[in-house]
This record gives sequence, structure tokens and C-alpha cells, in this order.
Amino acid sequence: MKMYLYLGCTTPTKQYGYELSVRAVFPKLGIELVDMPDTNCCGTPLMGVNRFYNVYAPARLMAIAEAGGLDIVAPCNGCHLALSEAAFLLRERRHLLEQVNALLKEEGLKYTGKARVYHPVEALHDLVGVEKISSAIAYKLPPLKFACHPGCHLVRPSHIGRPEKRDGKLKLEALTEAIGLQTRDHPEKYECCGAAMIPYSTDAAIKTVAMRIKRFVEGGFDGVTTLCPYCFDMIDGKQDAAKTITGDRSLSIPTFYYTQLLGLAMGISERELGLNLNMSPVGSVLEKLRR
Amino acid sequence: MAEEPKVGVYVCHCGVNIASVVNVKAVVEHASTLPNVVVAKDYPFMCSDPGQNMIIEDIKAKGLNRVVVASCSPRMHEPTFRKALERAGLNPYLLEMANIREHCSWVHEKQPQEATEKAKDLVEAAVAKARMLKPLETVRMPAVKRALVIGGGVAGIRAALDIANSGFEVYLVEKRPSIGGNMARLDKTFPTLDCSQCILTPMMVEAAQHPNIKLLTYSEVQSIDGSVGNFTVKILKKPRYVNEDLCTGCGICEQKCPYTVPSEFNLGLGKRKVIYFEFPQAVPLKPVLDRDNCVYFKKGTCRACEKFCPAKAIDYTQQPKEITINVGAIILATGYALYDVKTRMPEYRYGLSKNVITGLELERLTSATGPTKGAILRPGDKKEPKNVAIILCVGSRDEKHLDYCCRFGCVAGIKHAYYIVSHIPDAKVTICYTDIRAFGKGYEDFYARIRALDNVQFIRGRPMEIFEDSNGSLYFDVFDQNTNRLIRLNPDLVVLETGVVPDPSFEQIATVLKCSRGPDGFALELHPKLRPTETSVDGVFIAGVVQGPKDIPDTVAQAGAAAASAIALLARGEVESVPNVASVNQDLCSGCGVCEPICPYTAIVLEARNGGRVAKVEATKCKGCGACAAACPSGAMTQLGFEDKQLIPQIEVLARGR
Amino acid sequence: MQTYAQTDILDAVRKVIGDQRPEACYQCMKCTSGCPAAKVSDYRPHMMVILTKAGLAEEVMRSGIIWACSMCLKCKEYCPQDVAPFDVVTALKNVAISRGYKPPEMLVGMANNVLDYGYIMDKPMTITTTEFEEVSRDTLGLPKLVHPKDVEKFKKLVSSFGYRRLS
Repeated sequence: MKMYLYLGCTTPTKQYGYELSVRAVFPKLGIELVDMPDTNCCGTPLMGVNRFYNVYAPARLMAIAEAGGLDIVAPCNGCHLALSEAAFLLRERRHLLEQVNALLKEEGLKYTGKARVYHPVEALHDLVGVEKISSAIAYKLPPLKFACHPGCHLVRPSHIGRPEKRDGKLKLEALTEAIGLQTRDHPEKYECCGAAMIPYSTDAAIKTVAMRIKRFVEGGFDGVTTLCPYCFDMIDGKQDAAKTITGDRSLSIPTFYYTQLLGLAMGISERELGLNLNMSPVGSVLEKLRR
Repeated sequence: MAEEPKVGVYVCHCGVNIASVVNVKAVVEHASTLPNVVVAKDYPFMCSDPGQNMIIEDIKAKGLNRVVVASCSPRMHEPTFRKALERAGLNPYLLEMANIREHCSWVHEKQPQEATEKAKDLVEAAVAKARMLKPLETVRMPAVKRALVIGGGVAGIRAALDIANSGFEVYLVEKRPSIGGNMARLDKTFPTLDCSQCILTPMMVEAAQHPNIKLLTYSEVQSIDGSVGNFTVKILKKPRYVNEDLCTGCGICEQKCPYTVPSEFNLGLGKRKVIYFEFPQAVPLKPVLDRDNCVYFKKGTCRACEKFCPAKAIDYTQQPKEITINVGAIILATGYALYDVKTRMPEYRYGLSKNVITGLELERLTSATGPTKGAILRPGDKKEPKNVAIILCVGSRDEKHLDYCCRFGCVAGIKHAYYIVSHIPDAKVTICYTDIRAFGKGYEDFYARIRALDNVQFIRGRPMEIFEDSNGSLYFDVFDQNTNRLIRLNPDLVVLETGVVPDPSFEQIATVLKCSRGPDGFALELHPKLRPTETSVDGVFIAGVVQGPKDIPDTVAQAGAAAASAIALLARGEVESVPNVASVNQDLCSGCGVCEPICPYTAIVLEARNGGRVAKVEATKCKGCGACAAACPSGAMTQLGFEDKQLIPQIEVLARGR
Repeated sequence: MQTYAQTDILDAVRKVIGDQRPEACYQCMKCTSGCPAAKVSDYRPHMMVILTKAGLAEEVMRSGIIWACSMCLKCKEYCPQDVAPFDVVTALKNVAISRGYKPPEMLVGMANNVLDYGYIMDKPMTITTTEFEEVSRDTLGLPKLVHPKDVEKFKKLVSSFGYRRLS
């Protein structure tokens, strides 16, 4: 099947490892990714600046996808939330739909809600399936203990329907186990990485992710995996800052995008998966994960 | 109708309720111009003694044979005026009321002229119907002088005792092996801290020994037919596999049974044998063999209980027994269950972390008859907790869960704090509350006493969630509005005071009885202030938490009230059927059967007649809703007091243009 | 002395899209108890709500504390009165901007970039690999960034509903 790849802002301008690994694994699992012909920021980081933009912008994206006749896969949690929430509001509030379509009409676009939006966790777990993934990999990764961090926006707000539920096993955990790794529960699994606090106070944001990293370390995990560029940016990218700000030198843990781990299991090269871009100390774990 | 209708019209001012909007005199004047109206008067309060006497005297003096009262809603005073007609010697169903208050003056305050015209029309329409009214006879039927109480908790026991003490027979049906309900699970009751079992057991024993009470335990109501004064109830007595006549309650079978399963009475915290007494003070003191977990029933082996029973009372062949009884009144007292926090609120980790328990589970721990013989030990490692967090309002006052207040959680939580510090002197308790509701007698005093203790801290804040770290220790954050601080707590035991819902057995009984439920799922009373124990089903009363969350004093008081209502019914010894029932002209009826499934009260049956079939209305079941009469295609079905020839003149008045 | 009933802020908050119901709040403290920002700053979501309800939110718009929210949505998920403190605060942020209060500097840049490029960044970042190489989109062989097809039109449409350049 073919799907539009909507990358948002952070992934294509900074989190190249995510984009590289997504582009590497999806086609091999039967999902051909097509670049959006036209794009814009989904509006999640700017909800406080203009709330209506956060309805119009996702609607524009979904209208573009509708015009192209394909569904969307949105690797960023924030983008997926913006698109899902806009779809929900436009279903519930007629006047919003009219306002939005009046603007879209100026560009020859129309939003009817036909284009569906998937997060990679959904695309991989629900569209491809754990069985297919297990058989598509070249080798099973050794059963290292991994913590799965879904990220706030994959879980909440549950009343509009989210890819993950706060109860029982995560789809991300099922996917992680499908490639041979072990998962285990850990406290604060559904807690925030702190990314959105960066503009207000880097200090506050780092202290927040430090608490998450502490739990990963205490849990004795070999590594952490996530599928959100913001969460990854914080957990993978801010470990040194966390050590400095809190004074706790133990705050260090190898962090991977799940698609990077999946790619490894599929025999794709580390370079192609952008594993040289991970800022956390992944070297020792990579050695164990190599075939 | 042989005689000419002679109508008296009485227009009420209702103080200023009607008269300040509607020109009452004008309405009277208009009424007096109508054909057959012999007298038309107005009066400030028609429902008062002089007002009623006015009608009675006119009936006698002027030979009135129809009365129209234009006043408030019939729901207020129709019975009042019907009784007045009766006192005057006139059939009470020759009354028609015109509602010129709720339907006129109260809703058209700003348009007095139009309201007056409307009142005139409503009165004229009432007169049009009144002309066509026929006398109706109420049927008086003897009421069976026996009651049924469903639910053997403190509400059911109290109600049964009150009814029995009045001289009437009462069946007390309880689905569990023993009566006692949730109160039997409690250790102490607030605010006096009486031992719950000690105050309840005498009542339980009294109920078991009362000559007028027939106890049916381990039994469930299967079906209820009939109506007020005459209910036919089928009850299924589940097999205990113990011959109750031979059993002496010695307990040897329980001792000798080699197998254990989690105890339901102890809420899964401890174990019980497969043949077991629910608790040591069980009434009746007879064991139950749990067939689903019995090795004999599963594999054919063991039979230890049979072997050791000195009275030879074990009977593996015992069958469920169906008992059919006839009663005149029913009291529902099925009690409560705790809100399912395990599934609905996983963020509190109840069911995931062993050391997160409910308040009711704490009662089992502190109870001398509980799994730890009264020692407060954490379920996780069986050690005494030193640092306990009690969280109030779990699932209550929450639009996403139960939007109502559970009423007793606050004082129960305060009581639980007392349990901890009185059992474990060096323990510290933190109570996380939202608002303390200590409304009852002695409650505020109790709150003040516990509040003053140094080792009990009250935090004004509701925690969002509970975490368990990699060592199995619990922790959570709560913002304390009192001290304006975000506090991190590390309790070794968390007690959740959860919201309550009606016991699951209520669902089936409510459906069978057609007992209305409120939006919160509890039984709906007829009036929340003035008629708290009556339901929309005549002869069915409610008591205890089935009607809404409440504490023990209110439960017992309401049980007495429900019993009084039942006793009044039984003491009268007869019930009057309201005569506005459906009536079928079997000569016109074609037996099409459209009416039968429409009736919500299964009051219509189709019976054979002359080679075909016709509808028959069981008047005692009929509630006069009119659905069948409206549906009948041939006009064979009518409703007495609302026949077409009575309604059509009414409609003709109202539908003519101005 | 402060007085209540400055309803203009409450009215403005209600006009913003969202599910905010500040009037329903009974100050149970659940939101602040679970709030990640409350643990690392002076941000108190329950306070944001009650100040809005009481018409006293000017001070938090002025101080800028409203921008500390981490958007975790836990307050919205668990609020027992569906107040959704997150929605109240997001609305307050919108109102603050419309009244000339400046958001954090980083957001100013991001907001303006969206107008000019359709992205919160003006261009892809250059980052350093573990082998100390400096790479960016093009050196990694990733396709060229797609922008709004007609940036001027996009700017115009977006400005039409009040999205202004921030300074």
C-alpha cells in the first residue's frame, strides 16, 4: 500500500535518524511512502499562539492527502495529535468545518475527513502486524531489556481515541518484542519527556526528562525505545545536560527509535538507519545487537 | 346517560398563583354561559376545607352530578377533590380538572390577557369532557397480608423486623449464604466506633428467630408477577449440599475440608474452605459447599466433609429448589458494591500493586474475624505499615466516573485513619481529601478528634495517580492546597475510599419489576424529599443504598420508613385499583393482537373465544397508560375515563380557531 | 484591594476553540498533583483555572507562567469536572498574545518561521555525528524539504484568521 509521509517540522529539520529509519523499513514491510506534495507545520507547538491554526493547518494537510487519494502516516506524536484532534473537532463542530473549508476553498482544497491518519506505531502494529514483522526480520535481536516510552500524545486525550491505552501492554511493547527484545513495565511509563517546556525554561524541561531517565536507569534496562522525535530529542539528546543540571552522573542510557531497532533486525545498515546520529551512548548495545 | 348532566364549575385563585395572571372572575363568567353548567364559582383556595365544602354543599343543594375544578395540576389535588365528591355522595370519577396553573398562569406570566382566554378554553374543554363522564367503580381487592424483603443487609433486616413486629409475615430473601450484607464486613461503625458485628448480630439473630420472618438465604428472586396487594414471586433456593434440618452448625466439615479458595467475604484477602461458613457469626449458621471448586464434583474424590459430619447432613444430591410465594408488598434493599476502580481507574494501581487496597478491604484486615485476625498487615509482605495514605473521593464527584458523592467516604476515611493509629502507635497517616463531609450526628466531633492527632495529617488535594518503583515501593505526588506545597508521599500502604454503585443484583430485579432507575443507576424514588421510599411501582418500596448512597443511620431510618409504608398497605388489607384502566369490548375485538406486545406491564392476554381469539385486560396489572387503546385499530380497546367520546368534545373545544 | 468579576478575560477565554469549562472547577488539586511542570516550576494549573474563573488572570498572563505548561494533557485526561485546565491555559495564552503579552522568545521565532516557511525552523539543522562528521538533510541524501506550495497565499490565508507576526 501507498501512504503519504507527513514528517512535520522537527523530524525533517533535526531528527534525521527517525526519517532515515522510517524511510528504510516501511517499504520493506509493504508500505510505500510518498512525500507530501505540499505541506505546513501542524500547529502543535503553536497552540498557545493561535488555537485556530491548530485546526486549520491539520485540516489543510488532510485535505491535501484527500486530494491525492492516500492516507497519512505521521511519525511525530505531536503531529498525529494535531491531525487526530482536528479531525475530531471538525466532526463535532459544524461551524468550524465551515470556517475551515471556506479557507481551503481558496486553494482548491476541501476537507471531508476521508483521509485517515496513522502513527508508525499503528501502521506497524495494526496495518502490518506483529506476525508479519516477526517473519520479515532477518534475525531476532538478543533479548535485551528495553523500556518503551510512548510519549504523552500517543496516550492522551483518550476520549478522541489514541493509538495507545493506559492499561495493559503497549503496542510499542508488542512491536519491540516482535523483533526479539524483552520489554518490562516501569513506573512513569506514561509520563512526559518535558519537550514542550524548552521554550519556557530549558532547566525545567531537562529536570523533567532527568526524572524519566532516572527511572530507566533504576529499572536496569539495557536501552530505551520511542517513536516520537520530541521525546527522542529529550531522552536521547539531553543526557549530558541532565547529568550537569541534576549532578546525577548515572543518567545515561542507550536510546533508539523503534524503527532503528526494527531496521537492524531486518539487516539494514547502521548508516542507513542514522544510528550514527543518536547522541546517547548506543555503542555498547549496538555491539550486542549486531548479528 | 339517563339523566341530564348538571355541571358545577369551581375556579381557584390559588392565592395569587393563578389570580395574579388569570382574570378568575372572567373565567367564571364564561363558564356560567356554557350549556349544562348549573353553577360557576371562584374561591381563593379550592383545596382548603371551606373550598371543598363549597363543592359538597352545592352537590347536595343543587343536585350537581358533574364537577369541574379549574386549579393546579391533577397530580397535586385530584385525590383531594375526588374524596370531596365521595363525601358528598357523588361518584369520585365524575370529576374533571382543568389545569390553569402549571399549564396556564405559571407559564404565561407575561401575557395575562391571553392566559385568561386560554383558561376559559381549558375550562370549557373540561366541561365538554365532564358532560360525557361515566361513574367508575374502583375494585377493591384483598391484599395478601405478607411482605417480601429482597436483600438481607441491615436495611432488609430492619425492615423485616419492623414488619414482623407489626404482626405480618415477611420473607427475607438474601442471595449470599448469610444475612448481614456489607455492614457485617465492617470492623467498627463511625462515629461511636461500636463493633459492627456486635450491634448487627443481635438483629440478625432476632430476624432468624422471629416467628413471623421466613429467612431464605442463598436464594435469588427469579421472577415477580402480579401487582400491588398480590405479587407472585418465584425464588430459587440454591443448593448448599447440606441438609439444613440435620446440620447442627458444628463446623467439623469446614475444619476437615482439605481445599481452600480466595474468600469472597474477605474480598479476596484471605482464604476459605470449599465447604465453608461465610463468617463465624453467619445467620443461619449452616455451611455452604461451593460446587464449582469442590473436588468431589469435579473429580469424584475426597468426600471428607461427608465422612466426618457427625449429623450425616452432607447431601451431594441436593437440587436447587423453586419456591413460589404470594405477597402484598415488596421492599427492595439490595445494597451496594464498590466502584470498579481496577478497570476504570488503572492510574491508582488497584489490582496492580498489592499494597493499594480499598477501605472495605481495610475493614476486613482490622476485623477480628478477618484474614489477619485483626492485625493490620500489608497484603504485599504481611508487615505492619508505618506510613499510610488514605485517599478520599476515588471515582466520586467525577464526570468521567461517578458524578455523585458517596456520602460516607469522608467519615469512613477518618475512621480508617483512627484504625491505623490505634492499632499501630508509631504509624503516620496522611488523608488526601477534597472536601470533608461530616454532616451526621457526632460526625463533626469525630472529625475534630482525629484532626487533632499529631500522627494524622490532612492534605487538601486529590492525587492523580500512584506509582510503584522498581523496588515495589509506592509513591505519588499531591498538591496540598492548605500549605500551598507539592508533596511527594511514599506510603507503604494506600487505602482508597472508592465510590459506590448499586449491587449488581439490582439490575435484574429492577428490570423484572419495572422499577425506575435514576441517571446514576440507583432506584428512583417517587419524590426525593417527600416520598423517599416509594417507587413508580405500587406496592414496591425501597430502602438503603439501593435508593442512593447513605450511611447506616440513614439506611436504618429509611428501612423503618419503607416498612411503615408496607405495613400501612398490609394493615388496610385491601388495595384499590385505579379504575382508569383499559377495557376491551370483546364483541368488537378482532384478535389482531396489536395491543398485547405494546403493553409494558404484560396486562393483556389473548384468549380463545368462539373459534378465534380476543384480547383480555387484567385490570389489576393495568396502569392506565393508554398505549393499547391508542394502538387498537378497531376501537375495541378503550381506556375508562379517557374514552373517545369523552376526549373528542374536549379536542373540539381546544381546536376551534379564534 | 483586588475585586472579582473582571469577566472580560473569562469571556475572551470562552471564545477560544476548545473544551474549557473554568466555571466547573471545584479545586480538587488533581491537575496540579500530576502536572509535570508543577514539579519543576511555579506553574499551578489549578491556580490558572481559578484565577480565570475569578477574573484575576491578568497577573499570570503578565508573568508568563502560563507558558510553562508541558502539554502532557494529563490534567485534561483526569479532571473530574471536564474543566480541562490545559484548554483553559491554552486559551489564556491565545488571549495573552492578542493583548500584546509576549510569549517566550523561542516561540516567537517558531511562530514567525511558520509564516515565512511553513515550518517552525527556517532551515534544516546541521548536526554532528558520533564520528564527528557534520551532516544535514542533503548530505544524508534525504529528499529536499517540501514547503507550502504557494507561501504567499499560505501567509495570507493564515493571517486572515488573526495569526500575526510576533515581534
